[in-house]
Amino acid sequence: MTNVVANIVECRGVTKHYRQGAIDVPALRGIDLSIEKGDFASLAGPSGSGKTTLLNIIGGLDRPTQGSVKVDGEELTGLSGEALADLRLTKIGFVFQAYNLIPVLTAEENVEFILQLMGEAPAKRRARAREMLHEVALDGLENRRPARLSGGQQQRVAVARALASRPAIVLADEPTANLDSKTAEDLITLMSHLNQISGVTFLMATHDSRVIARTRRHIVITDGRIASDERRNSAG
Amino acid sequence: MGGFRFLLPLAWRSLWRNPRRTFITMLVVCVGLWSVLTFAVLLRAWSASSRDVAIRTITGEGQIHAQGYLDDPTVAHRLPPPDAGLMAVLNGGAVSAYSARVRLSAIVQSEYKTLPVTLVGVQPAHERQISVLPAQITAGHYLSGPDDVGIVLGSNLARRLKTRVGKRVVVMVQAADGHLAERAFQVVGLFAGPRTAEDEFVFTGLKTAQRFTGIGSDLSEIAFDVSNDAALPGVLAALERAVPGADVQSWKTLEPLSYAVSTFFDQFVLMWLWIIFLLMGFGIVNTQLMAVLERTREFGLLQALGMRPRLVLLEVALESVFLVGLGVALGAAAALATVSAFPKGIDLGFLARGAELAGAGHILYPVIVPSDFVTYSLMVWVLGVLATLWPARRASKVSPVEAMSHI
Repeated sequence: MTNVVANIVECRGVTKHYRQGAIDVPALRGIDLSIEKGDFASLAGPSGSGKTTLLNIIGGLDRPTQGSVKVDGEELTGLSGEALADLRLTKIGFVFQAYNLIPVLTAEENVEFILQLMGEAPAKRRARAREMLHEVALDGLENRRPARLSGGQQQRVAVARALASRPAIVLADEPTANLDSKTAEDLITLMSHLNQISGVTFLMATHDSRVIARTRRHIVITDGRIASDERRNSAG
Repeated sequence: MGGFRFLLPLAWRSLWRNPRRTFITMLVVCVGLWSVLTFAVLLRAWSASSRDVAIRTITGEGQIHAQGYLDDPTVAHRLPPPDAGLMAVLNGGAVSAYSARVRLSAIVQSEYKTLPVTLVGVQPAHERQISVLPAQITAGHYLSGPDDVGIVLGSNLARRLKTRVGKRVVVMVQAADGHLAERAFQVVGLFAGPRTAEDEFVFTGLKTAQRFTGIGSDLSEIAFDVSNDAALPGVLAALERAVPGADVQSWKTLEPLSYAVSTFFDQFVLMWLWIIFLLMGFGIVNTQLMAVLERTREFGLLQALGMRPRLVLLEVALESVFLVGLGVALGAAAALATVSAFPKGIDLGFLARGAELAGAGHILYPVIVPSDFVTYSLMVWVLGVLATLWPARRASKVSPVEAMSHI
């Protein structure tokens, strides 16, 4: 059951250290961050600043060394691997730079896969998959496997997959990095549209100035710390 | 969440990403199982042939002797003629046929040669029901009755003695009074059979042998067959009760080599199964490990999307269920086709002498035993799938973050 909470994500004092041989490398140095419901936010910063690490920790893919992370009111730090998998399934949608679709499944099956993991009835999940593919303008391509889709089309399938389970938040890691300018623009417009019509929260780690320009909140992270957190009233 | 049926298409399609590797692994399983099943059928046929040769030549499925006869098969160890109690068992439903005999070590002498043999006095009508030799006459004819004074020799013995049908041979045997009895017999027939039988046995009428040896109505042995294998222990027990003090033995004791061949079969097939499985196991583990390593990123993705580790393990295991299952189906079909290609049996004429030495006949009749096919196929399938649990576990232990950074 999803609690009604204002902040979809709450990070308090999050640190993350990696071991490289005998050396302790700090990736995050005490992150305090709240992502509100309906945010359409970008997370920018130079390479190695900790963007992806923070995204992974919020997404339950990695664990912080210290600190607290709550997603949709649920504390992640004490959860088991299985519980984290369930949380990722029901509350978080992922969009990756490299699309990461399952190559042996069609576009529709890739979207349906999440719903199958959730145990949705066949008719219901097929209808939802079709609905999501329609939302991302992929009507007619439902039965194509990833190898027969362009990069932009694959990323749209990834967005449809991320939204299919009605997650509390979609985490996107460099979603436009592998796309040409036109396709990247189309994808940003699509995600912005979905954010506005369905109210789903987006947090995108990105270098892409076009993405940053279109988000309503822009967070900059440098050397593992939040350097700035700017809210803008209008985004395109 | 939601069972695991949805993993079936994922597992099936993943199997065909690398068709060449899948085919090679399937071929390994297929050839492995084919060899196990085909060997099982052939060994079973060999075992049955060996048993048949042992039983049908002269032994029967059991024999009754006087105590001490098997250690010292002379006229000193004799059975009295069957009494009413013994006849009741021999004529009962569990015994399908019996033949009373005089059977003694003897010497046969032709004009050219003297050789050791076993003189067997028989009742031809009874003997025909126990032994195949009366039906395998190659020259002359078999004995006509218990009073027949002719002698039937094995073809090879006749060749060695340089004698033939119509000629006479002299047989010497120890008589009941301890003296060496000697008598000339006219050769009335020659029989064909296993070389050892052709060289060892010479047959005359039962009463002729009894008169020759001076043992009255006494016997050396009574050979019998049972109506079915399961009845044998009961018949042995009934005979022991009917003839207290007699030595009642089954063919398993009388023909230990043939019995050893038939029991060795089970162990040999099992040993072969394990060797094949070990070879197959290495192939399967290697293939699946390669597949898992190649797809590390994908397994990380599945877990990132919310798939529980145990479902990842199940997915990889399902791939093996399909992969090994296909190999098993093909292997079983190939074995079935191989065995079915010999509806008239496999002629071992080209190695007949070797086969005979090993106790088998010239022709093996392969018989498909459904339980063998099912058991060995299931064993290979289950063991094959178990062999993939290690790669599958490795796939399920992949950390999503590390896997996603895997190129």
